Amino acid sequence: MSKDFIQSAGLKLVILAVLFVALPLLLVSLDKGYIYQVVMLALIFSLLAVSLQLVTGIAGLLHLGHAAFYGVGAYIAALAGADYGIGFTLGLPLAGLGAAAIAFVVALPTMRLVSIYFAVATLGIGQMIFLVLQNWVEVTKGPNGVSLFSGIDLFGYTVDSELGIYFVVATIVCISIWVIHRLSHSYYGNALRSLREDDQCADAMGINTVRLKIESFMISSFFAGIAGALWAYTTGYISPVDFDFAESILILAMVVVGGLGSIPGAIIGALLLILLPEALRGVGDMRNIIVGFVLFFSILFLPKGLFGEVPALNFIRRQMGAAWQDNPDKQKVGWK
Amino acid sequence: MEISRRNSLGLFLGTVGLLALPISAAAEGPVYLGYQLPLTGNTAQYGQDFKTAAEIALKNFNASGKLKVPVEIIFEDSRSDAKEGVAIARKFVDDDRIVAALGDFTSTVSMAAAQVYKRAEMAQLSQTASHPDFAKISEWQFRNITTQAQEGVYNADWMNEQGLKKIAVIAEQTDWGQSVVKDFAEKVKANGGEVVFTEFFNRGLPDFRSIITKIERAKPDAIYTGFFYEDGAQFLKQMKQLSVETPVYSTSAAYNQKLVELAGPAAEGLFLTVTFLPNSESDHVTTFVDEWKAARDGAEPGQFPAQAYDAVNIMLEAVARAYPDVSRQNVRDELAKTKDFPGVTGVTSFDENGEALKQLTKATVTDGQFVPLK
Repeated sequence: MSKDFIQSAGLKLVILAVLFVALPLLLVSLDKGYIYQVVMLALIFSLLAVSLQLVTGIAGLLHLGHAAFYGVGAYIAALAGADYGIGFTLGLPLAGLGAAAIAFVVALPTMRLVSIYFAVATLGIGQMIFLVLQNWVEVTKGPNGVSLFSGIDLFGYTVDSELGIYFVVATIVCISIWVIHRLSHSYYGNALRSLREDDQCADAMGINTVRLKIESFMISSFFAGIAGALWAYTTGYISPVDFDFAESILILAMVVVGGLGSIPGAIIGALLLILLPEALRGVGDMRNIIVGFVLFFSILFLPKGLFGEVPALNFIRRQMGAAWQDNPDKQKVGWK
Repeated sequence: MEISRRNSLGLFLGTVGLLALPISAAAEGPVYLGYQLPLTGNTAQYGQDFKTAAEIALKNFNASGKLKVPVEIIFEDSRSDAKEGVAIARKFVDDDRIVAALGDFTSTVSMAAAQVYKRAEMAQLSQTASHPDFAKISEWQFRNITTQAQEGVYNADWMNEQGLKKIAVIAEQTDWGQSVVKDFAEKVKANGGEVVFTEFFNRGLPDFRSIITKIERAKPDAIYTGFFYEDGAQFLKQMKQLSVETPVYSTSAAYNQKLVELAGPAAEGLFLTVTFLPNSESDHVTTFVDEWKAARDGAEPGQFPAQAYDAVNIMLEAVARAYPDVSRQNVRDELAKTKDFPGVTGVTSFDENGEALKQLTKATVTDGQFVPLK
């Protein structure tokens, strides 16, 4: 392995080593179901935050109904599993595709809206989906929620140990985040950023803005749906209140605190907002106030986020640049 | 540190996940119970009430000397959020000292946490989870709240005795509201009556007038309602404003002194079933109400804190019966044997599913007071 390979692949290897070697070893040695639960929750919310980042941070569309698509995915996976015997292997992509399909339908009329009007429209969409989950009793079982008793079965092989479930969740989250990372750190991602900066100008430059907005909205919802399926399978019981407006705001807070437009920022934001309240459990009733203060001061002093877009882009460019250092004709290639 | 040594051995052998340690609390030290409840967030007032009720029950139990060792309760805040509820359940299950769990408040969180308790085989007793399937999840789930399977049937018979045949039913759109309608309507039909109108409303609905108008068009003999006191007060006030005189029947969920405060004269003549009346003269009720008033500046306890108080006492009795072998299995078995427990919310027994069977009392509102009907 050349030095450059290590340099360019180094970070990825470190992340993979932490997620698939160090963390599992730690989990096994502690052998605490609680720690497993918190880690899996952090992974699922990392995916939710990163998927929202694509729409809100990168394409610049303030989305206030993300949790609804998370809910659609969870419901599709849970209902497919509980009522139709469709297991995890098929239920997971189905959840993503279902959420993306609904995103497509609602995106068509809303994409002409901009800024705050779009935000209010997504707020409405989120509430509509929530009310459908809550009141369409014949299909969603309404407020009774759905119990999903089947475990995760992967191509006929049943995963039931804590560690196995962790590996499944970590792998899916990793692949999903990697896809969003490649999308957003590419020409495609730059086109999305141009929408955020000035969509009329982007339009004039020949970028099909409406199509890009719809695409990013669908991709984001697809991964929210995947996260929903993971939540449904790791908890075994879902109900509409898991996907209400407060949940959308929680995900949005993760994105903003981490840094709008920054993929690593979204992950940091998700980790902070999931792990901090759990870590502060010992403090008692004051813990929510402390979490509130942390959010307040982090926005006050770091308005661009804990890991803002500019440092994040520089960081990722360096990573990618290193991979092309040894290009034989010294030609500049790839995304800049 | 037997456990950590076993764990590190498990790590080296790579056979972790197969560890099934027989869990039983040391006979000398205190016995621990876990209580998950919303101490913060939107439903914090309920969780704080449960905590006060549990502390009263625990203090009295430890002072009574029924058990040689003290019992302690570990409270954890779930914020009525399923994410946190599941994490807490796993935390309790991990803690080898904890022999059984109480809570959670909402059905959603209780149901999600129940999946954890079921897998880990630890008894869970909720004071309020009203989801029709909660106690059926496994043999480890119990609840101390009357189900609509009991209450709905009781009310249907009550209304039948009064000669009320055509009945309109409204209920809030929750798992509980669904069960209010279902169990009641089945019994009405079995009694030869007819449900002429059914509608669900979302909690916190400010305007019931259109529903009331629709009810009146169906010309029922009586209205059966599944609501909590906030919605109940709105509904009754608007009934009065529209001068609708049809008698209204409701469940024990509507029972709260605040209903009378909010609805004023409109609450007069409401019929409902109750399990707990703070002005009752029985000894346990006065003890509980006095201590509650001392802890809460003279406020009267409502239905839910009373259920929590009984739930904690039922659990403590089960622990006392299981002593000295206070294992999770034993506590569960003793809990299941609970029979004719003299609680403040009526004499309580668990059926084979872990459902509470309670003695129900018919009551009505007269002169701003809930009074039992003979």
